Amino acid sequence: MLRYFFLLTMVAYSLPLLPANDTLFAPSIRVGLDVSGLARHLLEPEVMDSELSVDIEWRKNHFLALEAGLVSVNVDKESHRYQSDGFFFRLGPDFNVLGRGDHNPNDLVLLSFRYGYGRLKQEAPFILISDPYWGDFEDALDSESYQAHWLEAGLGLKAEVFRHFFVGWALRGRLLVARSSRTGMDPYIISGYGKHSGSTNLMLHYHLMYRIPLR
Amino acid sequence: MKRSQAAGWLFTFRAMLPLAACMLFLHACQDDELCEDVRANSLRIGFYQAGDDTGQWALVDSMRVFTLTYPQVPVYDMLQNVSVLELPLNPHSGGCAFILDFFHHRDTLWLQYLRETHFMSVECGFTLFFDIEELTHTSWHIQSATVVNKHVSNTLDEHVKVFLPADNGGL
Repeated sequence: MLRYFFLLTMVAYSLPLLPANDTLFAPSIRVGLDVSGLARHLLEPEVMDSELSVDIEWRKNHFLALEAGLVSVNVDKESHRYQSDGFFFRLGPDFNVLGRGDHNPNDLVLLSFRYGYGRLKQEAPFILISDPYWGDFEDALDSESYQAHWLEAGLGLKAEVFRHFFVGWALRGRLLVARSSRTGMDPYIISGYGKHSGSTNLMLHYHLMYRIPLR
Repeated sequence: MKRSQAAGWLFTFRAMLPLAACMLFLHACQDDELCEDVRANSLRIGFYQAGDDTGQWALVDSMRVFTLTYPQVPVYDMLQNVSVLELPLNPHSGGCAFILDFFHHRDTLWLQYLRETHFMSVECGFTLFFDIEELTHTSWHIQSATVVNKHVSNTLDEHVKVFLPADNGGL
């Protein structure tokens, strides 16, 4: 998998994306908010995922992006209590594989690659597992730290809906490459990675962004 | 409307479309979540005929199942035409024993395991998964028993194969 990740990075980097005419290129910074976390919060109020992003177009159609945020889970039910708080960042390049037309020169189709790191602290002060034969089982998990590293690759769109204002989505596949050795239990959500249900994950992000031209 | 303008709107539409898809998907996931299925963590035993390499389940006419801990409370009081058994592992302890009563013979299965706490979801809460470390048994009726999958979770995997003799009244 690592081999393919780097191979894709190199292929994307070397793609002749546009006819070479950089005289009109103006570098820019785009700041954004991932609203998919807010949408999820409406459906699962116990989970709060806040994420900001910034990317800089340092060379025509070549972007360096940083995404960072906070994730908290706070569950208080009759049969269980669980809390986790964590932060994360993802860093990597984006490559625009869409040639820029005259009418919408800032619309983008992006091939993205990221390294991700997430850290969290979790605890479950009350766990009740009902068992009709053996009787209810009570347990608790002391506060513990957890961290994870992953790689991701994905595809996304960014469309300029108003001047300098963008909406867009990104579909990301993730591969967990390292994590804390297990102590108590795997976290419900790894900050920045998503639900922990194995070493791979697929997530859809939805962004609102504002572009600031640098000259 | 110019063609390039139309293409621009189409691109914007495509950019916005996944939000609706995402909302629908998340909503669907919530609705389909059945906690009982997610929390299920029984040990699954399949009965086989000793010497039969076809991998076909054998059928046990009738049997009962008890535990050594609560022998007066049957796990299953009367089972008929059984080829697969689901047994609840004891969450309070790292081991438990089941008495398989084939009526003409009784055998005991002892299991030692590690317990792992898993947070399934906000709604469903926690469950335990198990990793079987050791399986031993008496051999009044059971010819042999093997652990084929150590990890007991909420999947439908078979964990233990129990081989029974072909020439007996129970099969």
